[in-house]
Amino acid sequence: MKQFRKMTYPYVAWISVMIIVPMILILLYAITTEGNGVVNFNFTIDNFVRFFSDSIFLEVLGRSLRVALITTVLCIVLGYIPAYYIAKCSDGIKMKWVLIITFPTWINMLVRTYAWIGILQNDGIINTILGWVGIGPVDMIYTEFAVILGMVYNFIPFMILQIYTSLSKMDNSLIEAAQDLGANRFQCFWRITFPLSLPGVISGITLVFLPAVSSFCIPKLLGGGQYVLVGNVIESQFLTSGDWNFGSAISLIMAIIIMISMYITKKVDKTEIGERASA
Amino acid sequence: METSAKKLIQFKNIVKSFDGQIVLKGINLDIYENEFVTLLGPSGCGKTTLLRILGGFLEPDEGNVIFDGNDITNLPPYKRDLNTVFQKYALFPHMNVYDNVAFGLKLKKEPKDIIEQKVNRMLRLINLEDFGKRGIQEMSGGQQQRVAIARALVNEPGVLLLDEPLGALDAKLRKEMQRELKKIQKEVGITFIFVTHDQEEALTMSDKIVVMKDGEIQQIGSPTDIYNEPANRYVANFIGASNIMDGIMLEDRKVVFEDKQFECVDFGFSKDERVDVVIRPEDIDIVAPGDGKLKGTVKSVLFKGVHYETVVETKNGTSITVKMNVSEDKPVINGSAGEMMSANDFYLDTEDVENLTDAFIIDHSDAQAWDPKTDERISISSVEYEIKKEKGTYPVTFKTAAGTMVTANMIVQDPNRAVDEEYGEEIYAVNFFKKADEIQESIALDTDLKIWANALAYDLETGSSVEITDVEYSFDPENIKPGEYEVTFKTRGYEYRIDTTDKAEVGTTVGLNFAPEDIHVMKKQ
Amino acid sequence: MKKEKRVFSSIFMALMVVFLYAPIIYTIIFSFNSSKSLTHFESFSLRWYEKMFNDATMIQAVIYTIVIAILATIISTIVGTITAIGLSKSRKLVRNLVEQVNNLPIMNPEIVTAIGLLMFYSAAHITKGFLTLLLAHIMFCIPYVILSIMPKLRTLDPNLADAAMDLGATPWKALTKVIVPQIMPGIVSGALIAFTMSFDDFVISYFVTGNGVNNISILVYTMSKRINPSINALSTLIIVIITVFLTITNLIPVIAERRMRKKLKKAQKK
Repeated sequence: MKQFRKMTYPYVAWISVMIIVPMILILLYAITTEGNGVVNFNFTIDNFVRFFSDSIFLEVLGRSLRVALITTVLCIVLGYIPAYYIAKCSDGIKMKWVLIITFPTWINMLVRTYAWIGILQNDGIINTILGWVGIGPVDMIYTEFAVILGMVYNFIPFMILQIYTSLSKMDNSLIEAAQDLGANRFQCFWRITFPLSLPGVISGITLVFLPAVSSFCIPKLLGGGQYVLVGNVIESQFLTSGDWNFGSAISLIMAIIIMISMYITKKVDKTEIGERASA
Repeated sequence: METSAKKLIQFKNIVKSFDGQIVLKGINLDIYENEFVTLLGPSGCGKTTLLRILGGFLEPDEGNVIFDGNDITNLPPYKRDLNTVFQKYALFPHMNVYDNVAFGLKLKKEPKDIIEQKVNRMLRLINLEDFGKRGIQEMSGGQQQRVAIARALVNEPGVLLLDEPLGALDAKLRKEMQRELKKIQKEVGITFIFVTHDQEEALTMSDKIVVMKDGEIQQIGSPTDIYNEPANRYVANFIGASNIMDGIMLEDRKVVFEDKQFECVDFGFSKDERVDVVIRPEDIDIVAPGDGKLKGTVKSVLFKGVHYETVVETKNGTSITVKMNVSEDKPVINGSAGEMMSANDFYLDTEDVENLTDAFIIDHSDAQAWDPKTDERISISSVEYEIKKEKGTYPVTFKTAAGTMVTANMIVQDPNRAVDEEYGEEIYAVNFFKKADEIQESIALDTDLKIWANALAYDLETGSSVEITDVEYSFDPENIKPGEYEVTFKTRGYEYRIDTTDKAEVGTTVGLNFAPEDIHVMKKQ
Repeated sequence: MKKEKRVFSSIFMALMVVFLYAPIIYTIIFSFNSSKSLTHFESFSLRWYEKMFNDATMIQAVIYTIVIAILATIISTIVGTITAIGLSKSRKLVRNLVEQVNNLPIMNPEIVTAIGLLMFYSAAHITKGFLTLLLAHIMFCIPYVILSIMPKLRTLDPNLADAAMDLGATPWKALTKVIVPQIMPGIVSGALIAFTMSFDDFVISYFVTGNGVNNISILVYTMSKRINPSINALSTLIIVIITVFLTITNLIPVIAERRMRKKLKKAQKK
């Protein structure tokens, strides 16, 4: 079968140029200052020092993490119910529900997010309905609420799908075995179903937290010009102020934070399952 | 069963259907304390459904389940005093062995030290003392099986339900687990209800076997009862191999089969009642032809380790003999066109004449043309013949585009068939012509002969086809010479399977002997 | 108790559907609004559609999006399939390494991939425009194609290609007549994912494009700064295109299956 191995060579060359070189460039820019020649680099950690000594940047980072965390928690809580509901449906209906949940994700994200601008306006449909029950117009558009809503809206289908998949993979005889051993419905869920669906929840978190931390178009569209997250800072460094070195440093910081949080989640997942079992 | 034993479980007229298909047709069954009961039947007979109804995972459409005097028909599974060992064990993959076994006790909120004591005692019982901290995935199939049993037994249930628990194990492990399960049951002294489709498993382990088919109970009894006194043909067939014959009960203790009268020990049938007669293979002895109650020819002998499995045919099946006309290949040579050509005579039925096609003629006459230098086939461009739907010989001429031609005869005759009223079978075959080299080159001659002679057999009643098991001929296929040969096709006749330690030679005539008490007469279904 | 639970979850599911579909329906309704308002529907009109079709940049963006998506899908599906088959026969070390690097664009935040490419293009002195956009799309599509084919290859009998060659097939024949048909479902779903990834992409396209080459996402992003209901018209158009596309891709297997069944029935009758 050795003759087939050669078929990977073109792609190896391609990923070296299109994936690895850009990654090295980010690293290189992050640890150098502006105005490098091809041969002489000025290595420095100034970019990182600048970020961590400026309270404005730290505040933005904190806000990004908070928004991403709230979004993730909301997606888990609100996504678990539909996932569970769909997993309990009969096979034919299951596929229809999956189609209903995933269909919106096939439509351009910008397009769907744009629609919320109209819905959330002070004289928009939500405030009109609230007005009928006597609750005066609530400021929604261009607030953190709108940003979180936009993120939950965009990312929750992925969470539902991940949890649903892990739930439907579960052998029904496990539930029967638990019932047989004396577990009621609540105990069944808490001791068997939920722990066994955790892998789905974890991969759901990866699919929600990661884009939520780095998103910059949702805050721009629904948070207004004043509302800034890490993504927006990186964007402005590259496309307005032109400080690529600083921008690279910030993206590196962001990537590292994401990697750490993913690592922690996976760790928690393992110990969580162990503890629940022996509890 | 001892009369002192108490009825523990009663199924009362249980009916269950899925999607309009009735799976259980009114099951009535009593199960006593400390019994090892096996529900035995092929897949789809409803045995697992019955077990799941008892476990509480299904509700019956009709009927009641009584447990220890209480109606538990509508009780959820977690309130029932019985535990299940599931088909694929259903061990919780996120817990270790200890936590799996302790699961039920923890739910009952028993004190920690008591749980530990009970779990450890259970792990000792199943010989997995030191495996408590192991993950489920690290255990072998047999070990997982034992954990599943321990997990159920630790709750001290009144009854243990086992749903084909040995199905996933290999043959050797199965045997070990059968012994171990029986040992555990004796030790804990509770009722085991075991579901399986494996008759051997049922015979070795059970106190009581319930044979099921199509949602109905066929027979309830001890393993020996069921083996020696099967209630009907189905049970006899399902439990061990059997020789089953059609017979007629003349009077009490007198039965007729194979046109002979035999003494037996059965009675209580009406006069001249049609019955099924069973003789177990190990109850028949092979003796000298004159000493036996039946006489037959040894058809095959298989060595099975301890014994020989011998098949003796006492009466031929339906048979038919045809003539095979072997000729030398004598092709026509057309020197100017550089072509050679050949064709056989062939036989056909008056019935075939109506739908005669060129392709049929070329096929059956084996007409072909070729270039002798390159050996490449040349297509036949025309087939000329005149034929009537009457017996007779009709010439047919094949031509190629280059003008090479060859003539063969089509011999029309009446259909050649034989009917055997006793078996209710019809067999059919035609005479045929073949070239010597084709017979020599055949790699599966029996099959080829069947195809060449168009040999087929049918059941007269159902019209379904019957296998032709024997092809007999007296020529040596390697060195066949031109001439006429006979080929006989046969279906399966009356055959007896005999398990003995004596070896018989294939083809010899032997006698079969059996005692009156070895003949078991059953009512027809 | 069971019933109460069912009522609760049914209401929840209904609310979830409303939540997911409200913006889509909202967009469609307001694309037919005669006024410029995004909140009050005045009367039915097609003026925003008219405006959209007369707007050259909008039409251009739609064309670019479709052309890029089709090209990126074709190229990444072919390259991805070839690579995946090669990988399945490669040594474990090579396979793991390539798979790791292959996962980078999926695991990394898009913005990181985007700025990496941006800096790479500028370091290599490639002018940003159609070509850079297409290359970027191919780059982030291939990993998804490989990822959806690999599981199919893993379940394939490893002796399949050998068996084909044992029976006289050349390596090329073994590949196209035996392996590729077996992994076809993976290839198709990979191509489908590639198409939608490319069609919907915003972040990477936003950073690597230039020279006036825009796709729909970039257009919506830049135009959303001012109220412009022709975005709604454009959005409705996209919704229609995607719905038709999804219906077709979902219907084709159904129709094919029905045809197979008919053929089978005919064959059985014979």
